[in-house]
Amino acid sequence: MMTSKKISALKKSPAKWDYQKFDKIDGSHPLKKEVSDSVVEYQVRSRPGGEVAVFNFELAKDMGLIDKNHPEILTPELQAKINETFSIVIINEYDKEEGKEFPESEIKPKTYMATRYLQMQHPNKQGKTSGDGRSIWNGYIKGRKGITYDVMSCGTGATKLSPATHIYNKYFETGDPSISYGCGYAELDEGLASFFFSEIFWQNKLATERILAIIKYPKNISITVRAYPNLIRPSHMFSHLKQGNYDALKSMVDYYIERQRKNKLWEKAPKTKSKYNYFLKKECEVFAKLVARFETDYIFCWMDWDGDNILMDGGIIDYGSVRQFGLFHHEYRFDDDDRYSTTIKEQKSKGRYTVQTFIQLVDFLKNKEKKNIKEYDNHPVLKKFDKIYKEEKLKLFLARIGYHEDHIEYLYKYQKKTVNSFYKTFCYFEHAKSKHGRHEVGDGINWSAIFCMRDILRELPQLYLSRGNNISVSEFIGIIQSTYATEEDLELNAYRKKMVRKFQKSYWSLIEKTSSYFDTTSQQILLEVLVRSSVINRYDRVTGDSITKIVNKVMSAKPALTPDEVYQTMKEFSEYQNFDPSSGPFSLTAKPRRPKLLKSMLKIVREHREGL
Amino acid sequence: MKLVFYGGGHESENLHLHKLSVELTDTSSPTITYIPAQSYGAEEDFREFVKSFKKLGVKKFLFSPIDFKMSDVLKEEILHSELIHLGGGNTFYFLYYLRKAKLLGKLKKFAKSGGVLTGLSAGGILMTPNINSASYPSFDCDDNDEDVTDLRALNLVNFEFFPHYKNSRRYNEVLEKESKKLKYPLYGCPDHSGIVYNQGNLEFIDRCYAFVSGDRIKLS
Repeated sequence: MMTSKKISALKKSPAKWDYQKFDKIDGSHPLKKEVSDSVVEYQVRSRPGGEVAVFNFELAKDMGLIDKNHPEILTPELQAKINETFSIVIINEYDKEEGKEFPESEIKPKTYMATRYLQMQHPNKQGKTSGDGRSIWNGYIKGRKGITYDVMSCGTGATKLSPATHIYNKYFETGDPSISYGCGYAELDEGLASFFFSEIFWQNKLATERILAIIKYPKNISITVRAYPNLIRPSHMFSHLKQGNYDALKSMVDYYIERQRKNKLWEKAPKTKSKYNYFLKKECEVFAKLVARFETDYIFCWMDWDGDNILMDGGIIDYGSVRQFGLFHHEYRFDDDDRYSTTIKEQKSKGRYTVQTFIQLVDFLKNKEKKNIKEYDNHPVLKKFDKIYKEEKLKLFLARIGYHEDHIEYLYKYQKKTVNSFYKTFCYFEHAKSKHGRHEVGDGINWSAIFCMRDILRELPQLYLSRGNNISVSEFIGIIQSTYATEEDLELNAYRKKMVRKFQKSYWSLIEKTSSYFDTTSQQILLEVLVRSSVINRYDRVTGDSITKIVNKVMSAKPALTPDEVYQTMKEFSEYQNFDPSSGPFSLTAKPRRPKLLKSMLKIVREHREGL
Repeated sequence: MKLVFYGGGHESENLHLHKLSVELTDTSSPTITYIPAQSYGAEEDFREFVKSFKKLGVKKFLFSPIDFKMSDVLKEEILHSELIHLGGGNTFYFLYYLRKAKLLGKLKKFAKSGGVLTGLSAGGILMTPNINSASYPSFDCDDNDEDVTDLRALNLVNFEFFPHYKNSRRYNEVLEKESKKLKYPLYGCPDHSGIVYNQGNLEFIDRCYAFVSGDRIKLS
């Protein structure tokens, strides 16, 4: 760990690190040329008054922006470079209409683009006027391991693609206080929430945009800089499909496939026309596995027909409505003013519909004739989607219990019937809702789930190992009951008793079958499951509610956190929220930079662990 | 009573103490409970703990962090183990949550009724009359962020325990001074050393020291 003396010496030392790579992020991007129909270009100017709130050193190293040996310290030179590169604002249509003039020295030499994509909240349902409403793409950069990253920033000014422009039929001044979302600004707390959430998901091997930096301005305003190997969303393609713009669609799909190939993610993609079949196959896999993972991990991500809010490879983008539930709150709907979102269970049909749209898209690309999407209702790729989804759900279920890969392969291949039966019993408890009924919550509506399945999966193998026998029905209910459950909810009727017995019978059956196949004892399998399950089903898992509270805590910490402290705090916290049982011991040996803050963050997680 | 005090150190280097602990259970197939001092990072410690004890043939484990609400079933189950191990960490925090979980009395009863109770560092201090030794020396003491004022602990033995002891002048000065205030010995145990308390008999493992009325005595 670096001492404060060393840190201050480093901060005072003349620049010894090379930050020139930042200069490559200058607005240039191949999409401008390759799919010009997809972009709106803006001149940008430097925005004064910015201060780096946090910088993601690990990501910056992966992107090759800083030397891999650079200490995790924001040197004055690095801070200046981040500001110079990312503290910008667009010169928009309003500025031009008003004839505003800006000093030449403040204007960047190249233009930056906002991209067009389909958005259901837009009046135009074909994507003719929608897209990045308050973001621009800063550019792209080739990082370590040959991966090219796209870089974009949110909060860089109001573009003409924001819904507000078309609802009110006028251009807005950047920062116009009369219109919130359409003003082109972003807020610091939303940026920090994205930062914490995305890093936790990243630790847990979920594809997600990552936050490279946040620059803060007075009045809680910020610019959030995001990076990812390919920031194209399905909606970038769907807009061209809706409009029947064959050439633009083809260019966009070709562009996407080529980037995936260059990033060595789709190395096997053919170079002939059959690449579109490959593309469809991949997207089917991506979305089938994604919705299975979201359901298993209780991740709520508002997917809809427009293909917005998600990246082509299933990466999460835009954390505005993303949540991770503590229980399976499958009736929760986010209230987006004029409409309610889908529920976590409806994500599957939305993911399936996205794949159906890809089928339509590929058919259009191959035959130059756009057919009605209904014509693909029974397409074999959708059957494939259903198959992959089911398989993934069961495998993830087994992983969640605590089985490792070899066990899962065996159980899935040879004991599918037992696994299926156990899963159905598991769902009976997981899906149980309170008799309290539907009610309003902070940002939507919910009908609370009542059982915490993580708790039973964590405690049951221990109790079985210790007793070598079943636990009683009341003990079982005592373990899974959540704070949402009322006395009435916990009533032990004959059917519930039967389901508890069935649950335990199936649990034992899988353990015994596994031990028999792997020629070991049930005790040994239970022990392996126990150790893995203690990590996978850890008591204090972060939820959307807790992220909100944690961000407030970080923002109001006294004394205020330095950018380096925000980064370190996030790092310690996200490492703790790593639920991968096969990852090595995490680095808790170093004393946390702000131990009291970290402790209070953990307390928040515990208090909100069953929430939304 | 059967108690084992661990001076500290990594699991793999405490195998000899684990062996002595398991032998005290007088059973070939004991159930061992691991209670960490705090849940933060405890799963990884538990994994290492299991790995170590598995080498000794132990197959049954319970894992029970106490700084969140554990189920009543598990809370009850751990008291049926043959051995309970109290992990290392912040002693004040550990005491605060053991008290909050109403486990102090139950652990005492467990030890008095024949269960083997073992403790590493903070866990060992908790088996003594109080946790005073966690608050000195000033250069190496636990933070009392929970503002614990009642420092009384399990009071299972009539000595105090100082883990991670280093035989150096600055440690010795403080421990000699503190021992003058006590009516019983203060035992200093470096990492990987320990004390076995078996039905009133004490056995010191590796280089342990006693501090009595201001004097330092080498024990093993």
